[in-house]
Amino acid sequence: MTTMKIESFDTLMGPMRDAVISLLLHLADDEFIIGHRNSEWTGHGPILEADIAVSSMAQDEMGHALAYYQMLHELGERDPDTIAFGRKPREYRCASLVCLPKGDWAFTIMRQFLYDAAESIRLTAFTRSTLTPLAQLATKIHGEEKYHLMHGRSWVIRLGDATPDSHARMQKALHELYPHALGLFEPTEYDEELAQAGISPREDDLRAEWESAVAPVLAAAKLSIPDHLQPIYGGRVGRHPPALKELLDNLQLVYNIDPSAKW
Amino acid sequence: MTDTQWPIFEVFHQQARGEPHVHVGSIHAPDAEMALLMAKEQYARRQACVNLWVVPASAITATSYSDDDIFERGTDKSYRESWGYKTPKMTSHEATEPRSHGGG
Repeated sequence: MTTMKIESFDTLMGPMRDAVISLLLHLADDEFIIGHRNSEWTGHGPILEADIAVSSMAQDEMGHALAYYQMLHELGERDPDTIAFGRKPREYRCASLVCLPKGDWAFTIMRQFLYDAAESIRLTAFTRSTLTPLAQLATKIHGEEKYHLMHGRSWVIRLGDATPDSHARMQKALHELYPHALGLFEPTEYDEELAQAGISPREDDLRAEWESAVAPVLAAAKLSIPDHLQPIYGGRVGRHPPALKELLDNLQLVYNIDPSAKW
Repeated sequence: MTDTQWPIFEVFHQQARGEPHVHVGSIHAPDAEMALLMAKEQYARRQACVNLWVVPASAITATSYSDDDIFERGTDKSYRESWGYKTPKMTSHEATEPRSHGGG
């Protein structure tokens, strides 16, 4: 692995530039869509305090998405609003995990935990990225992510081991979500190149780290990790569950009325 | 009356190291660790914060407002008002008083 630093986006050329654009788009779209999904709880949380926390974290994720979209804009892509709102479903690069409807509270909490465990591992790795702007952003948002993980972990451990009903719901959610969560680590054609350049670790390495991070928490929650489930891939190449189109129809409704409107 | 809510925790917020923890409100939570998590979003997202305390409301023993006459001063006790001393932090009431004898 080279240790040469890439101080700014301007010095990125050719395939490496494409690789970084691809990576940033995955990151941004994951954050944008999970942020929207979790914001669907605003005003509907099971208890006021939980509502405020999940809504606030949804705002954090939206903020991270904006930061990545701004980086894409610096790399010559369209402005953040147009990238966020002006694409067709197949042009999004988010994993299926973030597309799924919000489900019940157990489902939302389980997804939040599995997702933020992955994001936390990714961001920790990014703090050492040779791509300086990415390392700087990761350092800046790492604290928020640390909180998200504490939140998810605390809830998972409590709900997993509270009542027979809560345990059953959490186990069901885990079973349904786990293969989608593995899909967060869908390798792309740029995987090796990004790893060689020290920009981002290989998806398989991140996945292994994630599996060893979530296992003890799920065990503490008395939940069993489903065996032999194949990862659900497709998100990174624009193949999404139908839930994404429904989400985008809703999310883009106002934007599509007049994309050039000034706010 | 049956309260089906979680227990109440009182929340204390510290703006900077060395500053006092100030009571900012209360929240419902199933236990202390969850109380800290929820207090963070409820009371620390709009202002600087370095530390939070949560205390079960049930742990607080308070005087009764019906006994508030115990705080009244029957005679002039202004000699007790120690304006010349340096205190860690003035209460808002003290801060509005004139400080004619500043220093040590």
